[in-house]
Amino acid sequence: MPDAEMVKATDKKEDKKDDKKDEKKPESKPEPPTPTQEIKANIALIDRAINDLETRFTHRVLRSLTALRKRINDKVLRDAVEENYPKDSAVKNSLLSWLPPAPPAEQSMEVDTTSEANAAAPLSPPSKPTSDPVPEAEIYLRLLIIHHLHTSKDTYSKSIELSHETVDKMQSMNRRSMDPIAAKIWFAVERSYELGGELADARPMFLAAQRTASLRHDDDTQASLINRLLRGYLHYNLYDQADKLVSKTTFPASASNPQYARYHYFLGRIKAVQLNYTAAHTNLQQAIRRAPAAKTAPGFYQAVHKLFVIVELLMGDIPDRGLFRHPVLEKALSAYFDIVKAVRTGSLSEFQTTLNKHAAQFEADKTYTLIVRLRQNVIKTGIRRLSLSYSRISLRDICLKLHLDSEEDAEYIVGKAIRDGVIEGRIVHEKGWMECGSQKDGYGPEASEVFGRRIGYCLDLHNESVKAMRYPLNAHRKELAAAQDAREREKELAKEIQEGDLDDDEGLGDY
Amino acid sequence: MASQKLATLYNELQRAFDARPSDLKKCGTLLAQLKVGLIEAGLLIPQGETNLHDLVVARDILEIGVFWSIRAKDVPSFDRYFSQLHTFYTDFRSSLPPSKREFAVRGLNLIRLLTQNRIADFHTTLESLPLPADEINTNPYIRHPVNLERWLMEGSYSKVWNAREEAPAEEYKFFVDSLMGTIRNEIASCEESAYDSLPLKDAATLLFFPSQSGLLVFAQQRGWQVDLTAGMITFAKKNDEQVEIPTQKLIAANLAYARELEQIV
Repeated sequence: MPDAEMVKATDKKEDKKDDKKDEKKPESKPEPPTPTQEIKANIALIDRAINDLETRFTHRVLRSLTALRKRINDKVLRDAVEENYPKDSAVKNSLLSWLPPAPPAEQSMEVDTTSEANAAAPLSPPSKPTSDPVPEAEIYLRLLIIHHLHTSKDTYSKSIELSHETVDKMQSMNRRSMDPIAAKIWFAVERSYELGGELADARPMFLAAQRTASLRHDDDTQASLINRLLRGYLHYNLYDQADKLVSKTTFPASASNPQYARYHYFLGRIKAVQLNYTAAHTNLQQAIRRAPAAKTAPGFYQAVHKLFVIVELLMGDIPDRGLFRHPVLEKALSAYFDIVKAVRTGSLSEFQTTLNKHAAQFEADKTYTLIVRLRQNVIKTGIRRLSLSYSRISLRDICLKLHLDSEEDAEYIVGKAIRDGVIEGRIVHEKGWMECGSQKDGYGPEASEVFGRRIGYCLDLHNESVKAMRYPLNAHRKELAAAQDAREREKELAKEIQEGDLDDDEGLGDY
Repeated sequence: MASQKLATLYNELQRAFDARPSDLKKCGTLLAQLKVGLIEAGLLIPQGETNLHDLVVARDILEIGVFWSIRAKDVPSFDRYFSQLHTFYTDFRSSLPPSKREFAVRGLNLIRLLTQNRIADFHTTLESLPLPADEINTNPYIRHPVNLERWLMEGSYSKVWNAREEAPAEEYKFFVDSLMGTIRNEIASCEESAYDSLPLKDAATLLFFPSQSGLLVFAQQRGWQVDLTAGMITFAKKNDEQVEIPTQKLIAANLAYARELEQIV
């Protein structure tokens, strides 16, 4: 489940940032805010986002979601709802209905919490709000409740129910400012269905929502939904449908990095199954680059690398040895490392034993069928190695070295390798040997092409970062005002000088 | 009433199909009638509440249709029947009792993809088979096409050639001929790039031609130069000449770099 883990990871990162901030001013804030306060602060941020028309703040709130998710419980949520809504608001009651009523045991706990609340009093004024916060805040609270319902098996069906209600609500309100939160809601909906074991049932709903989102240019939701759908398809091995979905939709360019990473991973999977290894390779590489750092999202990182290693092998390359020493990957990839070793030596028998040994793991990773395809690559790597080390070798020797069944087979296999461009050379049938041609030099137009691609990538990166720079609204006005001031001061100065001159003149005149 | 009629037609079809040799013509007409009947009963593409028994019958009819199309050598019709069956195999998998013929049908579909050289589709289909990976190697219907594909990819063409008699069902043999055609073309293209020249006799064995006349016709189709007196085939060498420098492309790329640099500085 790379998805869930990755989210956790991004949040962990955020967590660290928060910690750092906290460390900077330890006197003013000795302990991190309680979850309830954090929710309150987040709702304030959402409010600000809506009022300033600046989705940036909403994104900031959402980034802290999973760190927060781990710390919430029934009480925190109840308090948050109580605190943020006026006494008898309809929204409040509907939200509270999803939470179990306060157990009497909590009264005793109150003693602890009141002291805490008193300590925190200056930070959060106890005055009750008089009106409902923006609807986005309600959806945000619902999101938290859904995530909370995921934590226990008994509430899975309830979470599906709540997701449905939330989605209906979201769609009836139809507010653009809600889009970033909506995207997260969809993720939660998928999780609900998955935990409930009915992932396939959610598909029609996702498809309908995806259509609406693309009509409204709702990029966040669209990116999230495309990934949800792809994940659902791949979960049931429906590669055909997944491929069609990819070809019929365009992934929004403004999607966030984690969404992109997932999308590239799914694409890589699809392309690998379709034997389009080059495309799979580029996609997986993108997924690795876009994914959060290895330590923060180990699950996703490992899943991508497993596939990446296989695709690289299928392309006839041998993955870097260093990859398997990476602390996050070392253990997870050990089975794959054995496969790589077998392919590298070009020994079919070793390959087969390794495959049988780790079959269960490969099957769990859904890479078994891909690895079975490697058989031909084992042979190809063997031939390539031979072609590099011999300038001429008899078919009989090839047959012996690669453990092939017959010389006849060897001839066909070598012929195919030559046609497929695996090796350069030719077969001399009468003499029964293979002559290996010289290797290509590195000065063809391919070199400039590769070079051009790299330059293009760097330039793109530069342009993208320029585009990603943010300027606060109206900030330039201040500068303008400052410039105006400076100009005025200059004028005054000039005037003074002039006047001074006059004074001087006068003075001179006096003398 | 419709179901009554369907039942009699179905029984008739089964009899006609099971007879040895089966009555292809009769099966064809019966199938056409049955399909109309199925549509009328809303069973061809089942929707809403349907009787389980009816669904099983509908599936049987379509399966017979698949085999009939193969025997009648009608691949497009095979395609149609197979895609109609797909609903039964995937969407109703949990509710219907498993069909004996299911994997035979799926295996046939795999072979068909193989003969049409649609390797990507072959793998996609293989991936979506409702089988655990180790059973792929034990199920005879699936193992056959999987092995064929593996040998084709490796280049062990002689194994493919030898396996043509080992088909798990009679219908598989229909595809063998077209498969051999595919192999021959594969081998030929390999030979074109791997050999400078080849004696006629060896070429015939490599391409599995029993006689030279077949080879000569084939060589003509591929445009090979045959020297009958020396008994040699010479393959026209593909261009080994100097690769041209793609000037236009280089100029365009350099101009683009210059423009970008200007923006940066």
